[in-house]
Amino acid sequence: MALTGLQIFKLLPNTNCKKCGYPTCLAFAMKLAAGKESLDKCPDASEEARAALGAASAPPIRGVTIGSGDRAVTVGEETVFFRHEKTFVRKPGLFRVLDPAKVADPEATVARWAAIRIERAGETFRVDGVAIREIPSAAAQCLACADATMKHGLPAIVLAETPDGAGKLVEKLKSHRPLLVPPAGADPGPYASIAARHGIPLVVSAPDLSALASSAAEIVKSGVADVLLEPPAADLPALHRDLTLIRRGALDRVHPGLGHPVFLRVGQGEIEKAVLGITKFASVLVIEDDASETWLPLWTLRQNIYTDPQKPLQMDPGIYAIGEPGPKSPMLVTTNFSLTYFIVSTEIEATGVPSHLVVVDAEGMSVLTAWSAGKFSGDRVGKALRELGATDRVAHHTVIIPGYVSVISGELEDALGHGWRVLTGPQEASDIAPFFRDVWSGYP
Amino acid sequence: MSLNLKPKKWAGAIRQVTLGARTRRPLVVAGGRGLPMHTFEAEFPHRPALALEITDVDPPRWPDAVRQPWDGVVGRPGEAAARAVRDFGADLLMLHLVGTHPDRGNRTADEAVADVRGVLKAVDVPLIVKGPGTGQKQNEVLSRVAEQCAGEGLVLHSACQEDFRTLAAVTVAYGHVLVAESPIDINIAKQVNILLSESNVDLNRVLIDPLTGGLGYGLEYTYSVMERVRLAALGGDTMLNCPVICLVGEEAWKAKEAKVPADKEPLWGDQRARGLHWEIATATPLLLAGADILVLRHPDALAHVRRTIDVWFPQTAGG
Repeated sequence: MALTGLQIFKLLPNTNCKKCGYPTCLAFAMKLAAGKESLDKCPDASEEARAALGAASAPPIRGVTIGSGDRAVTVGEETVFFRHEKTFVRKPGLFRVLDPAKVADPEATVARWAAIRIERAGETFRVDGVAIREIPSAAAQCLACADATMKHGLPAIVLAETPDGAGKLVEKLKSHRPLLVPPAGADPGPYASIAARHGIPLVVSAPDLSALASSAAEIVKSGVADVLLEPPAADLPALHRDLTLIRRGALDRVHPGLGHPVFLRVGQGEIEKAVLGITKFASVLVIEDDASETWLPLWTLRQNIYTDPQKPLQMDPGIYAIGEPGPKSPMLVTTNFSLTYFIVSTEIEATGVPSHLVVVDAEGMSVLTAWSAGKFSGDRVGKALRELGATDRVAHHTVIIPGYVSVISGELEDALGHGWRVLTGPQEASDIAPFFRDVWSGYP
Repeated sequence: MSLNLKPKKWAGAIRQVTLGARTRRPLVVAGGRGLPMHTFEAEFPHRPALALEITDVDPPRWPDAVRQPWDGVVGRPGEAAARAVRDFGADLLMLHLVGTHPDRGNRTADEAVADVRGVLKAVDVPLIVKGPGTGQKQNEVLSRVAEQCAGEGLVLHSACQEDFRTLAAVTVAYGHVLVAESPIDINIAKQVNILLSESNVDLNRVLIDPLTGGLGYGLEYTYSVMERVRLAALGGDTMLNCPVICLVGEEAWKAKEAKVPADKEPLWGDQRARGLHWEIATATPLLLAGADILVLRHPDALAHVRRTIDVWFPQTAGG
């Protein structure tokens, strides 16, 4: 919790020496409280004052990085409970479980996972990393899994079974900053010393939330700086309770042991658990199911929940082909607000009519808002259509505009020049099908 | 240091609304006194209710994966209703009168009444009746249904800010429940309720439809508006504390991701399971954001969400 000016003032030397540039210690304290000055400007500040101010300004949830290089995953650093209060900042890492006992050729499997790239609304979905299950009886195969993971540059998690086996895997992976996960309920001691020795992050578990908070705080004191919390919950409602109370407790700073990101295991067929975790504050998920039909909705959900609610998601302006349109296909224009784009493109697609959908930069606003703000005027749309080369794509020299902005048609015709026709489309995307059938079919 | 985590207490509560009357087995929804699904710290007298969607005619836009469980009864509302309740365990139904839309068959209000009667005869659960969408036809169809099925406590879907008077009047006159729809906008959600309340509609007979964005198609907007509506309601705003209904099925199955076959997008995986997951991953976050009624399309999606609700509310009976 932030300190008030008076609380800070009591920690200052109260000499009014002016070395900080302010006439009094109180004035300086007020600036510190507002976050506008640094305590470094006070040469006489005590250690106690530095410690107190440092703790108060630390983020409520510590950031933790797993992996190294450009694929490294950093989680934590969240500052709100509801996304609309500000935004959620660090997308949870979605890791795939690699089980050495089940995978014949780890290299081929990891290569396949590493190659996955799915583009969606300006983001590339990829497998964030690999969670290697440590199996004492298959030590060589485990090391092969570690090799494959490193070779493809993916961040690694070690799902430990024994301190010895896990220690060997960590030894191999240590330069890549793996996350070490002890078996749930195991004595954390031996694992904590492995993590401390290599300076890597560690998952802490406990039978209940109180024990979890104290155990995490103790492990941090013992020299493991980066800790993730594994909620003790046995079922979905208990998990929801744990996730909620950990986040709430971290933001309210009720216990230092709660100020860490959350780790979650998701078994086969547990899609609801993954959905709950992504929606409600989990930071690292290790998912056993490697099926694409499970991952695509989870990636998409993460994209939705971690979108900054203050900044509308935007599409890149351009000409989007729906089906395989040609010079005779209809050309529709809309704004670059992602939601608008998705709704319009989905409806066009459903008609089965190949079309050109031109997305114009309207600063991410929906059609009516953009028009009111002057970002979707006839001039602006006309200029954009020419600059994007849309005017060369169709032989019929006709462009369809959203029904809500029929008023721009005259100005747009002028902007496009001789021979161009502007056709007013439906107000709602859901009426594109009857529009194509009843109106467009009578054109070119 | 031991943990001191006090339960959060709120001044307000969500209204309890009774769906169905007369020949219907009544179902009471909502009434929660805390943040959605926060059963560990607040009282929830009723569990979220799960509806299945059925249609008056064969709906052209339903992908095969979601038609398959309805094989043989698609577009036969009476038979579909019986299957939805007896085989699939729906708490209530939504009859979507797709075919009354001027562009999709333009069926008459009397035909709609016959369809509604067929469903009421086949099952005794409460019924949501969704019209063809805003405009004159919507009012014509829904007010005839409301009049001809007086006293059944039907849920009429829906009135909006621009067009609410007709449906407000028949809701009051014939003893039904009205859905107030708003375009993912908390201010409009409140405004419609104020308008309804000024038109003598008892807000204990109103549901809020915040407009559902499907997964990947605006889910986050709906999610956050619902969280804000719930916060306002719990803070004591009596114009926003109506139960929330989300039309999940139609939004989830509209997504491209639920429609494209696996051979077209090999990285997307099995089409049927993908569609099902799309519906589950739309429904579950909305439950967490405060949905009191979910309208689903695929019975397997309902079964999944049902399992979640069963663990979550072991002591709470439906209704």
